[in-house]
Amino acid sequence: MSVEIITARKVTKIFGGLTAVDNVDLSVKEKSIYSIIGPNGAGKTTFFNCISGYYTPEHGDVLYCGQSIRGKSTNEIAALGILRTYQNIRLFSNLTAVENVMVGLHHGLHETWLDSVLHTRRYWKDENHSLLDGARWLDFVGLAGTANSIAGSLPYGAQRRLEIARALAGRPRVLLLDEPTAGMNPQETLEMTALIRRMRDEFGVTIILIEHDMHVVMEISDCITVLDFGKKIAEGVPTEIQFNERVIEAYLGPGGAALAEKFKRKARS
Amino acid sequence: MKTTAVRSLRTGLTFGAVNVFLILIGFNAMIGILLAKALGAQVITSIPAVPYLAAYTGLIGLWSGLSAAWKCKGTGVACSVLAGFISGLAAGAITFLFCLGIGWLLVSRIDFRNYLTILSFDFISGVLMGFPPLSGALVNLGILAASGATGGLLNGAVHVSCGKRLGQHITAWVRTVTGKVRGFNHGKGHLAFQIGGIAILAAAVIFLPLNWGSYWNYVAGTVGLYVILGLGLNIIVGLSGQLVLGYIAFFAIGAYTMALLNSPVPHNLMWGFWPALVLGVLLAALAGLLLGLPIIRLRGDYLAIVTLGFGEIIRILLKSDVLTDFSGGPRGIQNINGPTLFGRPFNSDIQFMYLIAVAVVLAAFIYNRLQRSRTGRAWLSIREDETAARACGVNATRYKLLALALGAAFAGLAGAIYASRNQFTGPEEHSLMASINVLSLIIVGGLGNVPGTILGAFALKGLPEILREFANYRLLTFGALLVFMMLSRPDGLIPSRRPVYRTPEESKPDGNEPEGNNVS
Repeated sequence: MSVEIITARKVTKIFGGLTAVDNVDLSVKEKSIYSIIGPNGAGKTTFFNCISGYYTPEHGDVLYCGQSIRGKSTNEIAALGILRTYQNIRLFSNLTAVENVMVGLHHGLHETWLDSVLHTRRYWKDENHSLLDGARWLDFVGLAGTANSIAGSLPYGAQRRLEIARALAGRPRVLLLDEPTAGMNPQETLEMTALIRRMRDEFGVTIILIEHDMHVVMEISDCITVLDFGKKIAEGVPTEIQFNERVIEAYLGPGGAALAEKFKRKARS
Repeated sequence: MKTTAVRSLRTGLTFGAVNVFLILIGFNAMIGILLAKALGAQVITSIPAVPYLAAYTGLIGLWSGLSAAWKCKGTGVACSVLAGFISGLAAGAITFLFCLGIGWLLVSRIDFRNYLTILSFDFISGVLMGFPPLSGALVNLGILAASGATGGLLNGAVHVSCGKRLGQHITAWVRTVTGKVRGFNHGKGHLAFQIGGIAILAAAVIFLPLNWGSYWNYVAGTVGLYVILGLGLNIIVGLSGQLVLGYIAFFAIGAYTMALLNSPVPHNLMWGFWPALVLGVLLAALAGLLLGLPIIRLRGDYLAIVTLGFGEIIRILLKSDVLTDFSGGPRGIQNINGPTLFGRPFNSDIQFMYLIAVAVVLAAFIYNRLQRSRTGRAWLSIREDETAARACGVNATRYKLLALALGAAFAGLAGAIYASRNQFTGPEEHSLMASINVLSLIIVGGLGNVPGTILGAFALKGLPEILREFANYRLLTFGALLVFMMLSRPDGLIPSRRPVYRTPEESKPDGNEPEGNNVS
């Protein structure tokens, strides 16, 4: 039995009069792939922001390996090993691909500004290490030839993968992926799915992802949580979620379950 | 072959037009005078002797020949020479026509100086090398064509003997010096070119101040101090992306530290130059940190306005009656003591020039090393996207404060030297205009890199002084240059390039990387 690495306890985030995340409980097992789905505006990204420290939840607590990380700053949480990617890609677009990854390596290095000015041994150790590692992570996501390309000029799919390489460089134990296959064609989506699996299998990274592509979600998730209007309405393995009436209604509106049943029967006949 | 000819022709025509423009602003006379002075000749008139003017024309021709030969696709010496010759000839043709025109003015004694002050009869006959119009124009054409061909020959010879074109050697050298190539195999240029280049630069820094005379040393010193200021502001604006407008306040702190500790009035402390210099740098850095604490959450326009206020506060405090007893009030502080080294006092502009040169080299060195390090990358990531940088584990608060402190320290260094050299500092020297000057120089030069900052400081602080000899054109030329720059180089004169890293897969085991990697 594997341990829980992320536990959310009654996490609530309120913006003015709107409760974006409402009493959400969930627990993610180590080395699993955990999906969060839900209609637009369900509070999925806000929930991610609560874990990664961009927001501090009003109520509730987020535990990482049993320790509370509520109120810690984003960079502290990143240094602990919870890293993320963004729905709208946020690369350092005027830097080269390998420099992006080297920024990802930042908190694993020890070089100070004085080391850099004096070119101490620590400087060379860290620089060589970060260059080697940067190239390795680029290679891992399939961007080996683009190390010196300006990040902003890479094609869309490559930018997504570069963002993942940058996050992986920070040695995550938990990786939060916000819609990793958004805007991708079927081929790229397949490759992304394979990449997500490889990250888990080869490095033991726990992956929490927000995703709208149901094929991807159903194929790779070990567990799924469905949010609607900030509330958790269902949790379970993919097959349970697929036939959950509340989930279908959240997506299709009231009476949606019956409607879906009708379409299914029609398709069969 | 045909494309080479057409391209060389085009290069030559551009050079010809530029040459005519340079002559019209009297640039040829200026270079001639500088050459004459550098060679130790006495120059009494504003127009140098004919050989120097001919040398200037030859240099333009050489440059146009080299430039055309670099672009030449063929590899042979003959092709290179031909390209250089065509280019020189084309430049010569334009100059030829121009010479005929001004020669006609000379012959028919039409005084054109009401419209273009530079075109005195003496100047025209200087341009014509003392010959009658037609032969003078032909001489110009001949010099340009011959020197163009020489340029082509030079390029071809270097190419054949060293395997690379001259242009590539120079690019490779500039890259190594400015540190553009890093990685496992340092893509260094030909060793001889590296050493030669550094030797030329060092010789220029060592010998030029001796022959320049006091005025040019003063101007060059000011440019140097502005380079230091520009580098410091570049750490804050160019690297860490914080638009700080009141930057000159840190300069003022450095200057006033030096002034208060080394002047008979108001305190008569007389600590000596070096301790005051160190204290000035430290106090400026501390001020940077203190300013940083309240503004660290501000971004963009808000940051600019708040820091602008900070700059004005410092200036107005120094000016106010309350502090008159402490800091001399609006009259400033006079008779600041100069530095001494091994008991010998600095009293000439030459000695200060050397001091400033050392400071500039130190500042550029520190800047360059910071730029290509974990710290530099952290700053750049904050500039690009602070939220994402934090999410990568970069402690943005700490790095922004570090950038402010280091940038302010550079300004403190420049300020302390400045006050000591001028033996005076007053509140009006540290006005908002000075902050804007520093900001414009790094933007004109190209945000975030050392060569750009140097060129920007030269363009904004040195050029107006050089153009002073041609007072009527000073602002016209300056304005034209700025407009031209904005149109043709919106990212500054020398835009920043990202370093090219040689990753393990790309570097071949034998260490000879493909040529294409070197030139981009």
